[in-house]
Amino acid sequence: MNVVFAVKQYVSKMIEDSGPGMKVLLMDKETTGIVSMVYTQSEILQKEVYLFERIDSQNREIMKHLKAICFLRPTKENVDYLIQELRRPKYSIYFIYFSNVISKSDVKSLAEADEQEVVAEVQEFYGDYIAVNPHLFSLNILGCCQGRNWDPAQLSRTTQGLTALLLSLKKCPMIRYQLSSEAAKRLAECVKQVITKEYELFEFRRTEVPPLLLILDRCDDAITPLLNQWTYQAMVHELLGINNNRIDLSRVPGISKDLREVVLSAENDEFYANNMYLNFAEIGSNIKNLMEDFQKKKPKEQQKLESIADMKAFVENYPQFKKMSGTVSKHVTVVGELSRLVSERNLLEVSEVEQELACQNDHSSALQNVKRLLQNPKVTEFDAARLVMLYALHYERHSSNSLPGLIVDLRNKGVSEKYRKLVSAVVEYGGKRVRGSDLFSPKDAVAITKQFLKGLKGVENVYTQHQPFLHETLDHLIKGKLKENLYPYLGPSTLRDRPQDIIVFVIGGATYEEALTVYTLNRTTPGVRIVLGGTTVHNTKR
Amino acid sequence: MASLDEPGEVREGFLCPLCLKDLQSFYQLQSHYEEEHSGEDRDVRGQIKSLMQKAKKAKNKLLKREGDDRADSGAQGYESFSYGGVDPYMWEPQELGAVRSHLSDFKKHRAARIDHYVVEVNKLIIRLEKLTAFDRMNTESAKIRAIEKSVVPWVNDQDVPFCPDCGNKFSIRNRRHHCRLCGSIMCKKCMELISLPFANKLTSASKDSLSTHTSPSQSPNSVHGSRRGSISSISSVSSVLDEKDDDRIRCCTHCKDTLLKREQQIDEKEHTPTIVRLYEKLRLCMEKVDQKAPEYIKMAASLNAGETTYSLEHASDLRLEVQKVYELIDALSKKILTLGLNQDPPPHPNTLRLQRMIRCSATLFVQEKLLGLMSLPTKEQFEELKKKRKQDLERKRTMERQAALESQRRLEERQSGLVSRATNGEVAPLRRGPGPLRKAEGWLPLSGGQGQSEDPDPLLQQIHNITSFIRQAKAAGRADEVRTLQENLRQLQDEYDQQQTEKAIELSRRQAEEEELQREQLQMLREREWERERVWAAPLHSRTRSLDFQREPGRGLRTHLAHALDLGPSPAQSGTAPKTPSPSPAQAWSGPPALGQEGPPQSTVSQPPLNPFEEEDRPSPPGEGAVSPAAAEAAPLPKEYNPFEEEEEEEPEAGNPFTGPDGLAPNPFEEEEARPCLRPASPPAPGNPFEEPAGTNPFEVDSDSGPEVEERIEEELLLQQIDNIKAYIFDAKQCGRLDEVEVLTENLRELKCTLAKQKGGPD
Repeated sequence: MNVVFAVKQYVSKMIEDSGPGMKVLLMDKETTGIVSMVYTQSEILQKEVYLFERIDSQNREIMKHLKAICFLRPTKENVDYLIQELRRPKYSIYFIYFSNVISKSDVKSLAEADEQEVVAEVQEFYGDYIAVNPHLFSLNILGCCQGRNWDPAQLSRTTQGLTALLLSLKKCPMIRYQLSSEAAKRLAECVKQVITKEYELFEFRRTEVPPLLLILDRCDDAITPLLNQWTYQAMVHELLGINNNRIDLSRVPGISKDLREVVLSAENDEFYANNMYLNFAEIGSNIKNLMEDFQKKKPKEQQKLESIADMKAFVENYPQFKKMSGTVSKHVTVVGELSRLVSERNLLEVSEVEQELACQNDHSSALQNVKRLLQNPKVTEFDAARLVMLYALHYERHSSNSLPGLIVDLRNKGVSEKYRKLVSAVVEYGGKRVRGSDLFSPKDAVAITKQFLKGLKGVENVYTQHQPFLHETLDHLIKGKLKENLYPYLGPSTLRDRPQDIIVFVIGGATYEEALTVYTLNRTTPGVRIVLGGTTVHNTKR
Repeated sequence: MASLDEPGEVREGFLCPLCLKDLQSFYQLQSHYEEEHSGEDRDVRGQIKSLMQKAKKAKNKLLKREGDDRADSGAQGYESFSYGGVDPYMWEPQELGAVRSHLSDFKKHRAARIDHYVVEVNKLIIRLEKLTAFDRMNTESAKIRAIEKSVVPWVNDQDVPFCPDCGNKFSIRNRRHHCRLCGSIMCKKCMELISLPFANKLTSASKDSLSTHTSPSQSPNSVHGSRRGSISSISSVSSVLDEKDDDRIRCCTHCKDTLLKREQQIDEKEHTPTIVRLYEKLRLCMEKVDQKAPEYIKMAASLNAGETTYSLEHASDLRLEVQKVYELIDALSKKILTLGLNQDPPPHPNTLRLQRMIRCSATLFVQEKLLGLMSLPTKEQFEELKKKRKQDLERKRTMERQAALESQRRLEERQSGLVSRATNGEVAPLRRGPGPLRKAEGWLPLSGGQGQSEDPDPLLQQIHNITSFIRQAKAAGRADEVRTLQENLRQLQDEYDQQQTEKAIELSRRQAEEEELQREQLQMLREREWERERVWAAPLHSRTRSLDFQREPGRGLRTHLAHALDLGPSPAQSGTAPKTPSPSPAQAWSGPPALGQEGPPQSTVSQPPLNPFEEEDRPSPPGEGAVSPAAAEAAPLPKEYNPFEEEEEEEPEAGNPFTGPDGLAPNPFEEEEARPCLRPASPPAPGNPFEEPAGTNPFEVDSDSGPEVEERIEEELLLQQIDNIKAYIFDAKQCGRLDEVEVLTENLRELKCTLAKQKGGPD
């Protein structure tokens, strides 16, 4: 259940199948993203793939000495482009792979266009999702719902992505969904429909305990994406934004040209892989170590090389050194920018209050803190709006709710209309009325004791008190205690044993904080493998 | 993935504390332990637990280093990579996800279509062949027409009132024309013509005979040209009812299109662009490298380890060959990069991109594979290595034997309760110490630059060597090198003097041993010294080592002392034990001169590397009591080899890996003769002046091997280095890293300088 590896295997297989020779990879907009998440350019160069083209680009030259590997989503436009391409082939031979189920009629029209017999392969390889981390995938869909209901186009895309994921992992799951969300139910039904329709595809070796697909809706936990994060990956995403592993640093003051856009990929960046789930303080010390490591290597390089032996060592280490210097400068820049933003936006203080809003039930002190921060000129309007949103979500029904007052404060602070509207929108989206389960107050005696104990122990880290709601849901699920009246099964059969392979899908997007939760759960609960997915990966801006 | 449990990777240090088997990972160690020793003592379990904890901590470091190794070896580098953030062992091996092929469906549909198409094309070609089969020039037009009509039935004129292509009405002025290939009718404007060469080309190609005429690029032009020509000629002879096209065949646009497509296909079959030919060559070279490089690396590794499986000549031949291929790859990829750059219509940007990418991948390939090629030892070095290996093997053997006995004894001790349990836990983790280090040291390829001569005293030989280095360095005009070397020389001489004194001491001590009385006095003295040592050593050591560490040996020694006193007859021998862990009392005991020479501060500095030895030593005192006087004699002897040993090391540093195995070495004395002189890995001389410059002065490395190696480095290697550096400069320039360029240029200059010197200079 490693989604990165699953997609990577697909791509490798494609390239292998086409045999030796120069190759061009013909993709569409989405598959370009999918491939770029799992393969780096240098890696793919080693496999003789030298060109990357978009199927819709018009100025492609005829290069009959190249083999074309087409990896496309089976959309109408792509099929049309492909038909045109085959009528006047630009490359010597075509290996066509669709990322999802393609209709028979499309295959037929393609076949009829291939008069010159240039097509050597037509297959479905189900790599139809963005593999972010080994246990996290995304579909990069923004705004999947209109109000409470699905946008039909996005529903079908989500269904495709989810079924492709199941196929690529060879899982034919039982499905549970969140009862309170209509969207979750619709999606569950759609996935079930595809499984029934393509039953031949879904015939895998049966495992003892069938895998489980749990479909959730973001509106059940609107808090998590609103919080400031302090682990590396999440923080980078929150403050700088990660888009298909790419980070845009062009807004950073005084950035050098080659660092405008950097790639953070755990696949080939050891430092990132080791640190993506560590918190900001740890990153700081690790980056210091990295620097020291680098410095240790560096002086040797920068010094005059005194002898042949030195020189030889230098030459042999040079590529490594260069690679390291790239990594070092990248991470130093990113972390530097993060800490600049943190201090500029006063995020430590903001985050403390955010965590208090999310985790504690002390209304008066919360209100006081929010008010205090709203007066602080360093707090950006964005963060201010966020605080008010959190307040609104938590104390929606509180007797002395003073949300209107806060909104007035926001206006006084000069927060733009757009952000002020967001507050009410968020309440409507994730307010109590909508939530199926209670987010803030503990539900049963056990939970109450737990929280009490936690209170006694004191909080180790004020900035990471908040546990995403998903943690509890999954915890219950793993222990077999998840209530069926809240998360019913689709269809008659239910799971007797504790689940082993779990795929969680969050309509409306997952967060990196939840990814961290899943990562920890994967590590701490042996025998259980969880993959998290969402229509997108959130930060507060999205 | 997989990298964690790769069986080939040597995972140093996961030694089972009981049987000293080297296990590859600590998971394996755990399972090994559970299988083999589950019945054994409880303490051992506690011991292994603490080992696990240490191992876990060490694992992070190890993994990091492993990563480096992987990058070095390059061969399996880029494919296998541990998946970020997830421990690979948590995910079972994953098979390829589901796939579904539509190929058969596709082929079925296509076949139907293609049949139709192929039949059509073939029909046209056959007709074309018939039309060109006779000599058109010398045949009457009427006859031609008859033949043409016989090839394909012409459509009746009356049936077609309008031109089917452009829709114009046919009239006297707008006459009907028949396609000679399909018999259809069109107007003059829509008519196409096929020139005879073009027809020939198509028909001959279909007969699979090589056409004798037209380069592919010409023919389409000639067709067009002739058509244009025909139009003008037509207008000039427009009055004639049926113009005679001697060398052309009329046809409709549809047929012409089909034929043109066909021609294109033929062209592609025949024509391979330059880039493809170059690329094929490039791939061939890469394959060769893939084949040869691992072979070479295996050879070089084996040679560098002093093995004699492969011959040195063969290996250097192979190296040369591989290097040639590398140059070829470089040249080919450069050629591809510049392909068509000077052509008049500049190539399509995509073509250029392709060329750039190929070059890029070739560079990557070269970087990954060929720069990882290690160098071979020279003949002399090789001899040296062989010798070392032999010694190493012997030492290892004795060590293993020793270790086995050791563990056995340790068990016994535990039972007899001589050693406190608390200290036991410490043994195992530290026991590991020597393990990884020994492997890490692994006889570096460059080691053993000197020492080949059979000089009786290694120190003298060293001194001799260094003097010659100084001479060379002076000739090369490197003032700082000379300075360092001179310092080394001075230290060496000091050491030599000291050694001589020690020999004298040794002699006197032997005399002393003969006298019982004296021995007893000595014992007393030692005891006093011990007391003193404990008093001052503790605070001093607190900086380098933890306090209790120091205390432990002390305690061990006290019990041991008592034991020794009980034993009575040979108490002095037990003196060897304290001597090694804590040099200063030993010195005091062996004679005042030594104490004077090696001040206490010095010996404390060199204390840390000794720790493993201490650990070794402590649990084994009882055995020591029984040691023969020979052991005592042996002790100082290996000592004089130390400087030599340090010298031979290529990279002596404070935590010298070499000292690791040394820690084990002393054990042999405790029980048997075991040729102490052959055992170069004796405890590092406590006050060895060499250790200090070695640790602090990186330059020492060069002075050891540098000048001498310089002499011997093959020109070819130098040239290669220069090439490499040039490539890097180019690279760095492209990336716009000016500082790197600067450094590199400097290096280049220096290299060139060396090369020139080597060529010109004597010797």
